[in-house]
Amino acid sequence: MEDSKKSIGKGIDRIDGILKITGKATYATDYPAKNMAYAVLFKSTIAAGQIKSINSTEAERYPGILKIITHENAPKLNTKGGLRGGALLQGPEITFHGQHIGIVVAETFEQATAAAHLIKIEYNQKEEKIDFEKLAQTPIMPKGKELADLVRGAGKLAMETAEVKVEELYETPIEHHHPMEPHSTMAVWEGDKLILYNGSQIINGAQTAAAATLNMKPEQVRIISPFIGGGFGSKGGQWANLVLTAVAAKMVGRPVKLALTRQQMFNSVGMRQRNMQKLSIGATKEGKLIALAHETISHTAVDDEYIEPCGDCTKIMYEVPNSLISYRVVPMNLILPTYTRGPGKSTGSFALESAMDELAYKLNMDPIELRIKNEPSKDPSNGKPWSSRTTVKCLKEGAKAFGWEKRKSKPGTNKIGDDLVGYGVACGTYPARQRDSSAIIKLSLRNKLVYATVEIAASDLGTGTNTILAQTAADGLGLPIAQINVKLGDSELPPAAGSVGSVGASSFANAVNDACIKITDELLAKSGKQFFVRPTAAQLMVSESITDFQTRSDSKAPAEAEKYSAHSFNANFAEVRINSITGMIKVTRFLAVTGAGKILNPKTARSQIIGGNVWGIGMALTEESIIDPRYGNFATRSFADYHVPTNLDIGRLDAMFINEKDLIPNKMGVKGIGEVGIVGVAAAVANAVFNATGKRVRSLPITPDKLL
Amino acid sequence: MKPFKFISATNPGEAIDMLSNNAEAAFLGGGTNILDLMKEHVALPNEIIDIGNLKLQEIKATATGFSLGALAKNTETANHSLIRSNLPMLSKAILAGASAQIRNMATNGGNLLQRTRCSYFYDISMPCNKRMPGSGCSALEGFNRMHAIFGWTENCVAVYPSDMAVALSALNATVKVQNNNAERYIPFKDFHLLPGNHPEKDNSLTHSELVTAIEIPKNNFAANSAYVKVRDRSSYAFALVSVAAGLNLKGNVIQFANIAMGGVAHKPWRALKAEQFLKGKPATTANFLKAAEAEMVAAKALSHNKFKIEMGRKTLVNALELALKG
Ligand SMILES: Cc1cc2nc3c(=O)[nH]c(=O)nc-3n(C[C@H](O)[C@H](O)[C@H](O)COP(=O)(O)OP(=O)(O)OC[C@H]3O[C@@H](n4cnc5c(N)ncnc54)[C@H](O)[C@@H]3O)c2cc1C
Ligand code: SF4
Repeated sequence: MEDSKKSIGKGIDRIDGILKITGKATYATDYPAKNMAYAVLFKSTIAAGQIKSINSTEAERYPGILKIITHENAPKLNTKGGLRGGALLQGPEITFHGQHIGIVVAETFEQATAAAHLIKIEYNQKEEKIDFEKLAQTPIMPKGKELADLVRGAGKLAMETAEVKVEELYETPIEHHHPMEPHSTMAVWEGDKLILYNGSQIINGAQTAAAATLNMKPEQVRIISPFIGGGFGSKGGQWANLVLTAVAAKMVGRPVKLALTRQQMFNSVGMRQRNMQKLSIGATKEGKLIALAHETISHTAVDDEYIEPCGDCTKIMYEVPNSLISYRVVPMNLILPTYTRGPGKSTGSFALESAMDELAYKLNMDPIELRIKNEPSKDPSNGKPWSSRTTVKCLKEGAKAFGWEKRKSKPGTNKIGDDLVGYGVACGTYPARQRDSSAIIKLSLRNKLVYATVEIAASDLGTGTNTILAQTAADGLGLPIAQINVKLGDSELPPAAGSVGSVGASSFANAVNDACIKITDELLAKSGKQFFVRPTAAQLMVSESITDFQTRSDSKAPAEAEKYSAHSFNANFAEVRINSITGMIKVTRFLAVTGAGKILNPKTARSQIIGGNVWGIGMALTEESIIDPRYGNFATRSFADYHVPTNLDIGRLDAMFINEKDLIPNKMGVKGIGEVGIVGVAAAVANAVFNATGKRVRSLPITPDKLL
Repeated sequence: MKPFKFISATNPGEAIDMLSNNAEAAFLGGGTNILDLMKEHVALPNEIIDIGNLKLQEIKATATGFSLGALAKNTETANHSLIRSNLPMLSKAILAGASAQIRNMATNGGNLLQRTRCSYFYDISMPCNKRMPGSGCSALEGFNRMHAIFGWTENCVAVYPSDMAVALSALNATVKVQNNNAERYIPFKDFHLLPGNHPEKDNSLTHSELVTAIEIPKNNFAANSAYVKVRDRSSYAFALVSVAAGLNLKGNVIQFANIAMGGVAHKPWRALKAEQFLKGKPATTANFLKAAEAEMVAAKALSHNKFKIEMGRKTLVNALELALKG
């Protein structure tokens, strides 16, 4: 097909945009059901101990109450079924503040909420473990094999031979995902079959976890999730609320809706854990790295382990003969942390890329030059060749576009009135992978027009998956996009990977593309004809007068991909303006330059990148969830306290993509952009703050008080 | 939320009657605060009296100054030409608060009566003397970065959140209040209270009183006033520290200065020591610094808000500088 006719690569508007802005897109709790009942969760107000007694007499008498469910009457569930965070009402044990301890089901949401306040609970309290600062003095080894100490060469010992050193502690706080759509579920039983309407980043994962937890077969459970109001990792693995909705629906014999409140989102669906990262870099006077150590201490739940891999970027970013990556952990009475946008990479890059900036400053070297000087020719962690690596290009093209030469290398010297201006740069990376996914294409010929339906159990977090799959099918079949219907978000459809870890676009688009190739091949074979120019599937349907035809393709990553190290890369440039009196910061300009292979849709891609940038800026400047170590509760529990950045905090955002063709990781050359958009962002901002003020803030967020 | 009855009043007399008849009733202004508190189970009225139909929206000049209707919206007040040209400090203070959407709903009366944003006050699983007298103050030894440095007691260390009120305090406003057929005027300094032994009481209104207007005496601050607010993000955040300052100058000599601070106490904090210092002195940075230092002497920090003393000092000086520049 001629490029100008191609749909892929064009900034096409989202095909579901109109549905969304007119309120017609159906999110989990937008489905109608007859005889609906409403469930509300109630939660523990201690962090550790046991429930001694639950008195719900008064609540039961409240108007409209259908059922009160606690560990005393909940059905037996499989707690190892694959849901995250426990809290399945299986016993009196309490392991964190805000653990679900019961459900009130009523005719209305309001009745359920009011009755929940009438339930009286007594506890036997145990001493809780919540004080991270204290516990971090005596951390333990994590269980995960991938978190074992990774030593290259002489490891950290090589620091001794370095002429110039940076050894600092970088801290990042607990953050919450807070997608616009709080986690909500509607459960409908049809005999021994269950339909769960639920925002799920991994459709098949939600299905198997729900089935296993409920002691059912996967085919008995159907997940429906065509639209999701964001997830950022919190809707990847599923949490107790998914299955508790089904339990409530079963116990009252009616469809049930359960939506978490914003306050409940703080202790129901994971979080990004707090990290203490010790970063040590040793270099020669000329700026060649000799030693690099990244030692992280973080926390996990008392009964389960999740640790974000903060050392991941450090493993591969720079050429260095001696290195150490290590993790230590403290189990705490808090909900299990979980994958959060750019898990490990966004937080880890804050430490690594701040430290690189500190080193550049000590060396009196431009931070871009320092990075280029230590560019690795192959993946230092495993010796594999890069499928492609765009770090240097991102840095160079970004510097030009951003006007990096205007940066004053001496901090605190760029002043406009009362404001200090600073520039910062930081790099990032995220793996590019394709995961097993299947797709069915159904073609039909009606009134001389060919229509296609694409079916795949993919999910669209709101990022534009629907749209890029329609574009892929349009090009693959030779059809205009308006004749493509994309069906996703349903576990009855062919199984697919999840919208997690930046595997969505590559896995789904390749599956659809493979199905397009396959259906064209099959139509060609069916025609029995030879063509000089390969016709499209659409042309064959017409020429052969075939009214209906379909095929399925099961796609995998190319076998060759394993031999290479494939990643997206970026360089982030920040300009900040800081009021020198009040310490208030504005990011006046931000540019992210990304090398992520084939960009399927520059418009949705840009949205993804600047969305990641905004969160990264939030991470740098405003976002922090604070625990009161006396109780284990979050003291910041609404959007009045948990500050996401506002429009006024951020000026101009620009996203540039490096034009690259890398067909090693997958046939379409798609590397993924969801995660990488936040990686390196916080460091770029923090480095700009240093350049503006001469103050190095190593503990996020950089609030005005830290700049006084 | 606890179920409640919703009724509407057509005139102030009726509204006051409705309220005095029920100790558990509450007025509804714009609802941006009371509804949040009800959803969080902090406010538990069994009856909500809508006062939106009362004719208390007028913003006007009077013989002695200006009058702001209690039910005029924050947005209209801030953007009203009378206010912008005569009381720019007030306009700026209102616009520094909340978000455009909230200001469109918020009423002047409701703004004065909004309750603290102390997060323990909002979390009903936590002890809080203001919400439940006698239960203790969680913030005293807890997370108190946002809390008071002036006038707190061990019973409560919360701050009062309104920006508008900080300017009103500096402007010597009076709150016009009506109860069963009598009217009274409460000077601003007596309207909000320090926590003392009764943090549950934010202000000196009694249950059956309706705020009808806010009156502001004429002043000469328009040319030399400022409102500076320091916060964790540029919009939609409460003040870490804020300062409203107005200078009355003759040449370069300060005849008198009116200064109030926000984010530092259980009420708008009139910086009387700074005002006293500046009276009759030349308007110089050196004097501003000394005035700020004089004010901050009495500040007493909690475990997480030591920065507010330095930030308060700097912001005070900054506000005076900006007021001087005009
Ligand atoms: C996220 C968020 C951020 C915010 N940030 C800021 C900020 O930075 N600065 C700031 O100043 N404010 C801020 N606000 C608060 C906002 O200004 C107040 O919520 C608003 O001013 C309250 O006005 P209202 O009319 O909606 O009050 P309502 O909620 O209607 O009423 C508040 C109280 O006043 C009583 N009441 C109302 N009118 C009268 C009357 N005429 N007479 C007697 N009693 C009355 C009600 O019974 C109720 O108890 C913020 C609010 C939110 C939610
Ligand atoms: S500071 Fe006041 S409002 Fe906050 S917990 Fe203490 S008593 Fe309650």
